[in-house]
Amino acid sequence: MCESNVYLNKAGQEELLMEKVDRIIPAEDGSIFLENVFGERRVIKARIIEMELVRHRIVMEETSDAAVAQKRQEIWLEPATDHGHFHAGEEVILRVHKGYNMKPGDHKPKTDLQAFGVSEGMSRPLTLQEHHGNLELNLGQEADGLLHIYVREDGDHQLYGVIVMEIGHHHHHGLKPLGLPLEIVPADYSHARMGDSYEIRVLADGKTLAGIRVSATYAGTHNREYPHHLKTDEEGRAKIFLTARGNYLFSVTKDNITSTFTLVKSF
Amino acid sequence: MPPLELAIQFHGHICPGLLMGIRVAEFALKELGISPDVDEELVTVVETNSCGVDAIQAILGCTFGKGNLIYKDYGKNVYTVASRDKGRALRIAQKFGGNRGPESQRFRELAQKGNLTADEAAEKENLTGILFERLMSAPFEDLFEWREIDFVFPEKAKIHATIQCAGCGEGVMDIRAVDTARGLICPTCLEEKGGQ
Repeated sequence: MCESNVYLNKAGQEELLMEKVDRIIPAEDGSIFLENVFGERRVIKARIIEMELVRHRIVMEETSDAAVAQKRQEIWLEPATDHGHFHAGEEVILRVHKGYNMKPGDHKPKTDLQAFGVSEGMSRPLTLQEHHGNLELNLGQEADGLLHIYVREDGDHQLYGVIVMEIGHHHHHGLKPLGLPLEIVPADYSHARMGDSYEIRVLADGKTLAGIRVSATYAGTHNREYPHHLKTDEEGRAKIFLTARGNYLFSVTKDNITSTFTLVKSF
Repeated sequence: MPPLELAIQFHGHICPGLLMGIRVAEFALKELGISPDVDEELVTVVETNSCGVDAIQAILGCTFGKGNLIYKDYGKNVYTVASRDKGRALRIAQKFGGNRGPESQRFRELAQKGNLTADEAAEKENLTGILFERLMSAPFEDLFEWREIDFVFPEKAKIHATIQCAGCGEGVMDIRAVDTARGLICPTCLEEKGGQ
């Protein structure tokens, strides 16, 4: 590679930032110095998210606090337990969060948020309740087997948050999609652990979405931005190697819908 | 519990050195056709005291406490895993340069630095992820070289009598006590008071 064009990814759209860049120096404060063959220079608070050396193409994403604060809000579900999962007979409580990159923000989920539990293709509404300032779903102590639950917040930008919880010792494969307008589905749900390769599929109204960007993060990340970005293949599938402990969150945005999926890991 | 989890639980955190130890332990189990040690069926000689040794202890069960982990302070990432039942020993050496590259170098810099900024902490976390995937998925021969060697098995650990130190009154293994004018004393008293 000699010189490359540098693009800035803004909400999924790439904008040309600088042509024929031949020098890139990342600084300690998170900024990146760019210089091109014409002698033009720029410093930008950003991180490199993709380098295509053969095509002389580098994609960056702004990381300034302002840029992060302006990020689209997401909703997601997490088990309210200190050990990440539930055992049979344990009271199953899920929390609804709103924020970005698994970091709850200042905005609370809307009070007219709706929650549903889906079992064998049948959907039933669930009651959300406020508990110590958190919005929670209490499924009681009798919950058992594979629980497929989602929450929906309506508005100009519609938000979905999906979680799959496995209670007790069951082995489930081939989880059925919920049929949401935009949805992330585990390709073959079973016990995911750190060090596993994990595959998801992205569907829109039950149809596969090829070539869409899926962001992935994990609980307790030091990154202000999503640390992983995947792209779905022809069959709408994307794979990630799980390198962190705790639960993962996958997020996808298309048009005016953002949908998340929480992967509950046992390690 | 899978080997990876055993090692991380034992060591406390995940790092490239531990991952290299995990690869060695898993390879030795497979190549020698053995199970993790219960009662000194295995012996491992390690030529380093770095993170990878904890993976050997956690996965192979060759531990400091059982006496079947023999440490040679050579500063080399070399592990010799021997099985009494099979009568075989495998010497596994990390290839020079096998775990080098800009990411490893930068990880080391950050690991040695005391207080990390928020951005550095994120960078270290990301580097851990990159190295994690790379080291766990790289072909073993890219990281290590190995050969079967003749190995003289040490005797199994013996339990020695405990006697009372004439100096401090604490118990000490009889073979570690030193005979002085004051009687049998422990190495601590010998070191601190020269036997007086």
